Amino acid sequence: MKKEPYYITAENLAAAGKDNIPAELISNTHLIYSSPATLSFNSPGAEGFGVKRAGLAIPGSVMLLVAPGCCGRNTTTLSELGGYSDRIFYLMMDETDIVTGGHLKNIPQAVEEICKCTPSMPSVVMICITCVDALLGTDMERVCRKAMDRVNIPVLPCYMYALTREGRKPPMVHVRQSIYSLLEPMEKKLDTVNILGYFAPLIETCELYDLLHQIGMKKINEISRLKDFDEYMHMAEANFNLVLNPEARFAAQDIMKRLDIPAAELIRLYQIDKVQNQYRIFTNALGTSFDDQKYYDEAKKAIDELKAVYPDTTFAVGEAMNANSFELSLALIRYGFKVAEIYASLTYEDFVYIRKIAKLSPETKIYSNLEPTMLYYDCSEEKIDITIGKDAQYYHPDCVNVPWNQDIQPFGYAGVKKLFEELKHSLDCFDKEA
Amino acid sequence: MKGLRKYIPPFAPDQSGAAAVLYKLNGIIVICDAGGCTGNVCGFDEPRWVIEKSTIFSAGLRDMDAILGRDDRLVAKLVDTAKKVEAKFAAVIGTPVPAVIATDYNAIKKMAEKKLEIPVLTIETTGMDLYDVGAEKAYLKMFKTFAKDGLTVEKETIGVIGTIPLDMSDLKAADKIEAALKKEGFKNIYCYGMGVDLSKAEAAGSAFKNVVVSPAGLKAAQYLKERFGTPYEVFYPLVSDILQDEMKEQFKDFEGKKVLVIHQQVIANSIRDEIHRNVNSDVTVASWFMLKDELKEAQDISLMEEDQFVQLIEQGNYDVIIGDNILKRAIPNFKGMYVGTPHFAVSGKM
Repeated sequence: MKKEPYYITAENLAAAGKDNIPAELISNTHLIYSSPATLSFNSPGAEGFGVKRAGLAIPGSVMLLVAPGCCGRNTTTLSELGGYSDRIFYLMMDETDIVTGGHLKNIPQAVEEICKCTPSMPSVVMICITCVDALLGTDMERVCRKAMDRVNIPVLPCYMYALTREGRKPPMVHVRQSIYSLLEPMEKKLDTVNILGYFAPLIETCELYDLLHQIGMKKINEISRLKDFDEYMHMAEANFNLVLNPEARFAAQDIMKRLDIPAAELIRLYQIDKVQNQYRIFTNALGTSFDDQKYYDEAKKAIDELKAVYPDTTFAVGEAMNANSFELSLALIRYGFKVAEIYASLTYEDFVYIRKIAKLSPETKIYSNLEPTMLYYDCSEEKIDITIGKDAQYYHPDCVNVPWNQDIQPFGYAGVKKLFEELKHSLDCFDKEA
Repeated sequence: MKGLRKYIPPFAPDQSGAAAVLYKLNGIIVICDAGGCTGNVCGFDEPRWVIEKSTIFSAGLRDMDAILGRDDRLVAKLVDTAKKVEAKFAAVIGTPVPAVIATDYNAIKKMAEKKLEIPVLTIETTGMDLYDVGAEKAYLKMFKTFAKDGLTVEKETIGVIGTIPLDMSDLKAADKIEAALKKEGFKNIYCYGMGVDLSKAEAAGSAFKNVVVSPAGLKAAQYLKERFGTPYEVFYPLVSDILQDEMKEQFKDFEGKKVLVIHQQVIANSIRDEIHRNVNSDVTVASWFMLKDELKEAQDISLMEEDQFVQLIEQGNYDVIIGDNILKRAIPNFKGMYVGTPHFAVSGKM
């Protein structure tokens, strides 16, 4: 037995091609190793936004989790985060319920009881169901209608089906669709836009707000900034939706079908020239332009300052963070830094970055957090100066770490600027301590 | 209403109890789930997981695995892992998904053992029972599978059954119990569930006696008594550790009071004994977990529902409650004295 973690170099992975990804990097071919580096894969809600927290994005909503007790166990932590302890309730199933479906009959009464015990009437009750009801084939829409009759407020299903995480509509895609499903057709306002994709707002300094103002948008809706249910319902007035996370594509398509609101998509990038290109393509498509030079220069300055002070820095990049691991790694390599290791789950779409990494940094090692041999990962074998992502920190606990997993979402030039400022600040602090 | 929790989040489930018992034994532990249960077991119910490497895995079940009952794929994944990871046994721990599709654990065990050179244990947990039920099954299976016959009984060896963190709420509990029992003249103290490896489970038959510190350990102690003739006692030796202030004051605030102790049964009983040793009080034990008949007094109460708990406090006229602080959420109108005593399986707090 070798007792070594499996990895493949970028060069070898690119050469193998996306149709020959090694089994070690495909999660459904092996047991999933459970280390602190995989917590966000196994339990997205343990940190950041999982289905439960995301399902509470509608202002004034509460949630009833209908599931075996084990599914709600880690919600104790979530409840302790600001404001959630009064918003999550549980209806625990037992084995008899699995056989008889008896829990379904109790849901309307449970909804009525929780509405009575909240200080004010909730705007919506989300009913969150899990793998068990997925397998039982529960028609939760019907149950929600029955509950709605009892309380006269919307009752919505919300699906936390971990079994479908690699399917066509994984839980985090489904929940995005659910939270916009209450919107009803309204007269359109040409100067209103919805930003879809995240459950927390973009960083205040994000140039996207300026861009949207410049093209004539006066009202920019993000679900996390809406004060109340009425404001939420007015999202239906939007001229168009701007999708910033591919997991919101389904929601945007659904809104298009039901409310006739079209959508455009932008993605989060850390290659500054690609950020620029993306904005150009977007504004050209709208028949306008956006003067982004100031923002470009600020982001470039942050990159240059890091490069000037720490030119030979070696990075290890994880996946539990606000970036695509491979795109960020490529950006760092293109800026002249070394990326020695990447820990990430690979998708076909990532090959566009892998091929470029292979050309610029063929020796970069690619690991999967989920592979059983990661048990034997030894941090002493590679000299790393700084890690990005909480999972990467697990492998190199003594290195400088920037977790980069904050709720408030980095995006565009502002995201690039903030990341590089944080990297420099963290390295500066580490040097001072040393 | 049955099953409804408005104030108190769910407690640690059976799969967490089972995984905790096997945690230190150097086996491949497979939680038979889609990922979320493993996330809960490791990220919430197993405090040792963040401070030391472990061989816990998720089966990574997907919808078609469950719909088509593809146990062969699970076995293939297990065999693949056993080739890559050094382990003395493999254990498959159940969750709601296999419970719904009625997974045949015996078949998994037989299929896997044909292909592996290590023993395979299966623990049929469902995610719908509480941690102590899973722990009880795992202790029993651990001793049935690994305890060796023909060992000489050593007068200086003592087993302590029931010391998983979910029960002890203190990662140093094994060290403290060891120190306490060394004072009584024992040299080899085997704290099953926290401090010992597989070799000590194999050596269970050499113990002079066992101490049961959790109701989840009782069946295993009874089994060891039947198989090896090992006597057992049931008590928790660290009451002074969890009620330091009250012990210092010799429970004088409890004199003549009506007291409710809410914990796992063995700790709660030991707290009751300690109170009675010091003062005259009317003490009732209540537990959300198993209440063994042989350890129960007539007035003791099994808590099943949140509504029942609220009603008990409203109508019980208790002067003092000893219990985990998280329970206070459900009884904001209780005006008596509340002594916070952590129970990790309840609040996830030490």
